[in-house]
Amino acid sequence: MLEETLILFRNIRNPDYDKSLKGYKKAGGLKALKQALEMQPDEIVQLTKDSGLRGRGGAGFPTGLKWSFMAKDTGKPTYLVCNADESEPGTCKDRELMLHDPHQFLEGMMISCLAIGCRHGYIYVRGEYWPSIKSLNAALQELYDDGILGKKLLGKGPKLDLTVHPGAGAYICGEETALLDSIEGKRGHPRVKPPFPAVSGFNACPTTVNNVETLTCLPFIVNEGAEAFKAFGPENNAGPHLISLSGHVNKPGVYEVRLDANLKDIIYDFGGGIPNGKQLKGVIPGGASSSVLTADEIDVTYSFDALAQAGTMMGSAAIMVFDEDTDVVKLLHRIVRFFSHESCGQCTPCREGTHWARMIIRDFLNGNGNEHKLKRLHRVGGNMMGTTVCALGDACGMPIQSFTTKFADEFRDVQALAA
Amino acid sequence: MPVFHLDGQPVEFEPGEKVLSAALRAGVEVPHYCFHPGLSVVATCRMCLVDVVDMGNGRPMPKLQTSCSMDAVEGMKVETKNTKTLEAREDVMEFLLINHPLDCPICDQSGECVLQDYSFEHGTGKSEMEYAKRVYGWRDVGTFVALERNRCIHCTRCDRFTREVTGTNEFGMYNRGHELTVDTYADRPMTNKFQGNMADICPVGAITDKEFRFKRRVWRLKKTPSICTGCSTGCNVTIEYDKNEVFRLKPRENPAVNRWWMCDEGRLSYHVMNERENRIMKPRGRVQGELQPISFEQAYQALAERIAALNPGVGGALVLTDTNASNEALFMLRKLAQDGLGAEQVFCPMPDWQQPDSDFFIDSLITTDKTSNRAGARELGLTGVADTAELKTTLETNPRVVIVLGNPFEHATELREKISKTQLIVAISPLFNGWTELADVVLPGQLHSEQDATYTNKQRRVQRTHIAVQAPRQTRPEWQILAELLLALDKDAGLDSADAVLQALGQAVPTFEGLSLSRFSEAGVLLPGEANDPGRSVVDTRTAAA
Amino acid sequence: MLALDTQKEIAQLLSRYPIKRNALLPILHVVQKGNEGYLTPELLEEVAGICEVSQTHVEGVISFYTMYKLEKPGKFHLQVCTCVPCCLVGGEELLEHVEQQLDTHAGHTADDGVFSVEEVECLGACSYAPAVIINEDYHEQMNPEKLDRLMDELRTQGQAHA
Repeated sequence: MLEETLILFRNIRNPDYDKSLKGYKKAGGLKALKQALEMQPDEIVQLTKDSGLRGRGGAGFPTGLKWSFMAKDTGKPTYLVCNADESEPGTCKDRELMLHDPHQFLEGMMISCLAIGCRHGYIYVRGEYWPSIKSLNAALQELYDDGILGKKLLGKGPKLDLTVHPGAGAYICGEETALLDSIEGKRGHPRVKPPFPAVSGFNACPTTVNNVETLTCLPFIVNEGAEAFKAFGPENNAGPHLISLSGHVNKPGVYEVRLDANLKDIIYDFGGGIPNGKQLKGVIPGGASSSVLTADEIDVTYSFDALAQAGTMMGSAAIMVFDEDTDVVKLLHRIVRFFSHESCGQCTPCREGTHWARMIIRDFLNGNGNEHKLKRLHRVGGNMMGTTVCALGDACGMPIQSFTTKFADEFRDVQALAA
Repeated sequence: MPVFHLDGQPVEFEPGEKVLSAALRAGVEVPHYCFHPGLSVVATCRMCLVDVVDMGNGRPMPKLQTSCSMDAVEGMKVETKNTKTLEAREDVMEFLLINHPLDCPICDQSGECVLQDYSFEHGTGKSEMEYAKRVYGWRDVGTFVALERNRCIHCTRCDRFTREVTGTNEFGMYNRGHELTVDTYADRPMTNKFQGNMADICPVGAITDKEFRFKRRVWRLKKTPSICTGCSTGCNVTIEYDKNEVFRLKPRENPAVNRWWMCDEGRLSYHVMNERENRIMKPRGRVQGELQPISFEQAYQALAERIAALNPGVGGALVLTDTNASNEALFMLRKLAQDGLGAEQVFCPMPDWQQPDSDFFIDSLITTDKTSNRAGARELGLTGVADTAELKTTLETNPRVVIVLGNPFEHATELREKISKTQLIVAISPLFNGWTELADVVLPGQLHSEQDATYTNKQRRVQRTHIAVQAPRQTRPEWQILAELLLALDKDAGLDSADAVLQALGQAVPTFEGLSLSRFSEAGVLLPGEANDPGRSVVDTRTAAA
Repeated sequence: MLALDTQKEIAQLLSRYPIKRNALLPILHVVQKGNEGYLTPELLEEVAGICEVSQTHVEGVISFYTMYKLEKPGKFHLQVCTCVPCCLVGGEELLEHVEQQLDTHAGHTADDGVFSVEEVECLGACSYAPAVIINEDYHEQMNPEKLDRLMDELRTQGQAHA
């Protein structure tokens, strides 16, 4: 039986936990920040590198390495922007941290600011998350009132301010350069790279963008050391991981796991299996943009590397489960409708392709599909992949290609039924 | 210079240069829509995808790369015509066309539409799109341009133009995804003075020039390089004409003068090139108080006789010009004044003028000096304003002969009043004006679109024009009229072509030394030395606006 | 003219950013909230002035993000998620139910302006699907019965205030 590792959720799973600053301190909070204040920035970066921490936003890029890319001595301020624009369908892990244990996350953010020499950090929270925004603002107020944030961090460190910045409803702003455009007060269009944010980010200053969960790992790493963090999870997949489990499972929820757990066990142990005694049809293992796995493909280790080998990805660790009665054509329609709605529209293949694909799938839903359209849908999906500025083209293309390949017969059934 | 390989051919590049820029410079056409050298790189049309088979380190790039945003690297190998890139281009073309209305028969961009050209070169020739296309209404977005959004391919050049080039940002992107479009705020027309450029840089028929649309199919137009004479900037242009009628002016790239741009007012200056009503079609002489048509020869003969009889000399002749005349005309006028009439000076208006200075280069194109050759006149030592002491002194001597080139001192009524009493007034001009009304002899000149000539712009850059359209048969270039007058006065200078005049000018005025029309750079020639125009002042439009 | 409170909030927001334009999104939220949940051309012009950007820029921005409204929403604005995870567990049925109860379509206001309904993409509450946002609050693991009860309460509240 799989059990949760309780690192990030240590406090959250404690029913008596008081999420105020007082409660957080009582639970041992801010110790890591005090320690980090005694360290050189380079030491924090090195420690993070050693810990093997990889970004929890979806791409899995090594965090310490990302920090080390920050342009130095530019004469410009450096920024840490936290990506709390949790918007990949299926993902709702960051909001748990922001809602129920904001101080742990903020401590991680403060440590990270020290590591990259940031004096004003921004937390870009998706606009719909008003409860999370209120929770963070209340926590920040406590930190200011207590003299922890402000002119001198913890009363003796460098100046540090943190500001919560609400988004306004755009999935694409979860893409880090679109997020930077958005926080600058513009439309959120992903930027062409290079230059990378580490050289030219927020207001053209060196910037690192990190996910909430990524930053929340920092207090543990500083407190317990890189090795202790590495010890959670297999090689190259270090540390605890939050997964969001949704869809047709008995116990949907956000769970903290080691990345050596089996996907099947996650679904059956944490999720408690499929409701109403139904059979599993398939799993979308890493957010709406990941390739779908069929029921007989789920005996796979849930890690960055193992999922990549299985031809899909861990992405933002959002597992969506669907049972035997699910209409996959409708499911794909929902996925593609989402990407078509969220495309910023700047790149030709994504702007035109997401909409076109949606129209073709709608034909299938209306019983107007045929073999030719199925091929075309597959091709349109493929033509969006690898041909756009950001990954949204791929994000829409991958599910299209995997659904039309793995569930091709169901598309044919729809047309047979209609005929 | 470092070198990379493009389809197997070595191409030199400046460090930091992108693959596309280097390729275009080397004459290799990589298809593109959103890239424009005067705008930031967004790499969103995805048309310029190329295959980087070797990044210069022996390893290939796994995905196709947009050449507009890809830094050229020493030893890099790029393929622009292999199967992978050709297929990717076909795919992008397919995506671009699924919502395009394909209304080419009624689109005025036809013939100069990049979408059309690339469809021909890179398209598949068929469309599998079978759904309703996006439809938007026609929008009146400005005084100079029309917007047909159905044709838009979302390259966002127009959006970047108002954001980065004019800084006015009154035009931009709206909505997102499939519904992304470009528009102005709340139906309000644009206010910038450079809208025509938006029609130029729009690769398709989404933004078209209201002045030009539906006037002539573009493939009928012939093109001749020239300059705009609407102000002292002298933007480089191409005169586009058919059957001797000019249809539009397009900016011609010159990094040192106007880059890729010109102002709307300058574009409208083509109207005068087609002017017939107010055009002087043949020489005229006053017979019993009425201006009657005569021939050039009759005019010259009469003038030679009258001038000999009046024997003007110092104080007896007054020579005036405006600063729209070419260098050659001004030089010959000075010669006529000094050698033919014995006058010491040629007077021309030199009012103070303002050069705008702002964060946006394009603002600097519009100066308050609406003449084309003030700097040339200054080089030749022609000076004066309506009320200078010298001009007044000359007038007090009651000159007997007055020669007027163009339309100087247009609003100096007192001056005109005094001169009207003179015994002999000769006006040389392509168009009727206040002076031609007073004149005893009117000699019809030619417009800059009708002659080979040079003009000196505000930077003291000498730039040339070419004969684009044919002038009316009984008109002559001003330099020629003046040369023929000198001949009639027995002071032949032996200058029988515009080039000969320019070369003679080079001998007389050292800064012009060595210039010749037969080997003249289309980018112009900057005169040596300092400008030093005391009438020039810089207006900071940043503070002026506030 | 913006209310004094709104102006104060805007000043506070502006102080948190290096340049004024950066505060555009939060300022639009504050202004929208201070104007019964929607923006008008006059307000956009005012915000453009505050953030030192063109009106086209502001209009381009609000048309990009889904949360800015140009029409007055109901006193209670319902956002019903029908994205993938919610759709798997009854999001569509929930939306249909609401539409039926209010005798209206998503995108419209009903009940004399008490409620407005909007069909939205993922709200980020996927493990607690189906999710509905009413004004700023999340209501999770909803079903038609739960939502009916909630709306009855709100209706009474809304009418009491009206």
